[in-house]
Amino acid sequence: MQKILLAILVYLMSSQIVAINCYSVEPDEFLQNPEKELRARNISKNIRCLVCQNQSIDESSAPLAKDLRILIRKKIEHGNSDDEIYNFLAERYGDFILLNPPFKISTFFLWILPFVFIVIGIFVIFLHNNKSKKLDYNK
Amino acid sequence: MKKKILISPIILFFLILLVFFYLLIIDRNPSELPSVLINKKVPTFEAKLLLENKTFKSPGEFENETTIVNFFATWCKPCRDEHPYLKKLSDERGLKIIGINYKDDSKRAIKWLKKLGNPYSYVLIDPNARLGIDWGVYGLPETFIVNSSHVIKYRLVGPITKKNYGAFVLKVKEVER
Repeated sequence: MQKILLAILVYLMSSQIVAINCYSVEPDEFLQNPEKELRARNISKNIRCLVCQNQSIDESSAPLAKDLRILIRKKIEHGNSDDEIYNFLAERYGDFILLNPPFKISTFFLWILPFVFIVIGIFVIFLHNNKSKKLDYNK
Repeated sequence: MKKKILISPIILFFLILLVFFYLLIIDRNPSELPSVLINKKVPTFEAKLLLENKTFKSPGEFENETTIVNFFATWCKPCRDEHPYLKKLSDERGLKIIGINYKDDSKRAIKWLKKLGNPYSYVLIDPNARLGIDWGVYGLPETFIVNSSHVIKYRLVGPITKKNYGAFVLKVKEVER
């Protein structure tokens, strides 16, 4: 039984690896300079495709994703910095296009809540432990 | 006292569940995104015209009147459905409409306009989606209402239909005021 479970787990994990390695960038989009191409790929991974909203434009084969990939490469060739490119896109499509949302007043809770929950969780476990210790003494 | 504290995560959990449930049942389309361009000036760009051998310069050639900017293409079926309503806006309300022919074949577009009528004061061509990106367009058709001082006041993603025509006209009136 355990072996079967392990096999299923390994299978699931390997399919995950395959999924991570699947890109939509087409050969005609590549830049000649490998350094610049790498920069373009890294930016593309952080930009949300607005057509298939949970994919990055690096993974999406939607026409808009392709247009944006080409635009990013043009901007890199033009000498724009990564931040300039992110700003350019966020100015037109909003922060929603960034898969890594910036820390702002509007995103305050988004960033802070996980830590709040960790603190609450630790607190609850602590209380629970204390209680059970007391019970042990009573025995 | 301690019991109350231990219950709090469960209450919190149900509160969060309630929020999710609320977002599920309200009438909302998650693929419809708010435009960041609202209350901003129209982008600066230059584009060739479809029907004349001229270039259109923005914002210089936006006049001091409420203008509709409509992204369309012949390959987009909802654009065809929307077309009569754009005609209605231009014929009945005398609105100035600028059409942007998005990633399209110019010959087809000219034929299309001849056949269905041309509601546009200008038709600009956008062969590589550059204008679309400047306007934050992600799905055709998209329609913007620009006020007399060249500020974008409203965006509609998707076609103007029988159902939302009235609401759209109201928006135009609101911007004209």
